Amino acid sequence: MNTHNIYFIAAIGIFLSVIVSIAAYYYSRSHRSSQVSWEELFGKLTWIDRNNIAQVALDLVDESGQPREAVDVANLEPSQIWKLMGGLEGLEVLETNSEVLIDLAFYVQQWYPEALVVAEQLRLDARELKWHVARLKGAALTGNLEISFPFYAQRAAVTYYLMTRRVLGLYEAGNFSMLADLQKAL
Amino acid sequence: MHFTGLDLLFWAAGFLENVALLFVLCYRRRAKGFPFFTSLITLSVVRAIVLYFVLNYGTKESYFYAYWSLAILDMVLQFCIVYEIASRVFRPLGVWAHDLRSSFVLLLSLSVTVALALTWLASPPARTWMQVVVTEGSLFSAALMSELFVAMMALSISARLPWKTHVAKIAQGLGAYSLISVLIETGHSYFGVGRDAPAYIVLSQVRIAAYLGCAAYWIIMLWRDEPPSREMTEEMRVKLFSLQRSVAYDLQELRSRKKW
Repeated sequence: MNTHNIYFIAAIGIFLSVIVSIAAYYYSRSHRSSQVSWEELFGKLTWIDRNNIAQVALDLVDESGQPREAVDVANLEPSQIWKLMGGLEGLEVLETNSEVLIDLAFYVQQWYPEALVVAEQLRLDARELKWHVARLKGAALTGNLEISFPFYAQRAAVTYYLMTRRVLGLYEAGNFSMLADLQKAL
Repeated sequence: MHFTGLDLLFWAAGFLENVALLFVLCYRRRAKGFPFFTSLITLSVVRAIVLYFVLNYGTKESYFYAYWSLAILDMVLQFCIVYEIASRVFRPLGVWAHDLRSSFVLLLSLSVTVALALTWLASPPARTWMQVVVTEGSLFSAALMSELFVAMMALSISARLPWKTHVAKIAQGLGAYSLISVLIETGHSYFGVGRDAPAYIVLSQVRIAAYLGCAAYWIIMLWRDEPPSREMTEEMRVKLFSLQRSVAYDLQELRSRKKW
């Protein structure tokens, strides 16, 4: 066997090992997530003060998510937003919880495919929330966190607030027995 | 051209399985949902008939052109199936999930680069340039197909996009067949091609056996119905409809934002 062939066979060996490992990892991940019970999913939600989130979000939008009139909008001071949101750590919790919210919608979707629209909306919402948090992490690295925080944090709060409303709406529509637990948590 | 009993058995089994699969696709009304997949199976049936007649009544040259033109069409259709599966998974509401577009393009570029690198490393022992092109082209195609199926699986699971049962079954079958094809094409690149090479015949039989397994899997899985979802009551349907209406506007607005 010449050197070239040894390289070729080694490359194919590595290629197949990587491909099969990735496939096996994602297959088992998908299998695990389809077996997760609602209680386990619910247990992944990290507690946050929903009143604080609502206060920050409703300073910018009304309860249906529509932007407020210019006279009513953005009354909170940056320091108040920082305190109510719990700083960057608080936003990271929102980011983690947003993933759980998608899982909660996906859980319902397994029984009711009609919930697809809401699940897709939540997926895009979570993406937007991540984008806001990523901007703030970038700002923290460049020393601009204080200036950027009120803008991005408030928009992240609005996104998260609307996500929670959608999940609650979905569970309410489905008349699921878990609604009461969710209402307490969200 | 001399065929052994095993060659003829494989040929007949492959033809009958493709006919049975085509029957399942049409009879169970799956063909409409998977036009490219149905076209590929139709092509396999037509190819077997055409090549049989060309082999018996045509010239060696006409067989060569018929064989390779149909093989190229087969490869094109396989890539069309990748598109078909991607469009079923990444367009949950009839619109491509734009937030995944950049990841998809990145994974596609990476897959092509890796497949090209593997092809560049291969140096098949061949007598003609045509054999080199065919062997390397087949290796590239098999590597790229297997990468694309794994990439789609990884991306959809990360983004929590569900796979419908029949889409998943077609993808699993083609993904497994592509992985086996990588091994077979590696053998071809190492041992060489042509019916005078003993390894070539064994590897070709392994490929046909793998295909027979995949086709049998598709026949069973596509015959079965997708697991039924629970029925919604009328009240639930009305409530969910109003909720969906309220999010539809937001969804449109969110999609129009290109920044993230």
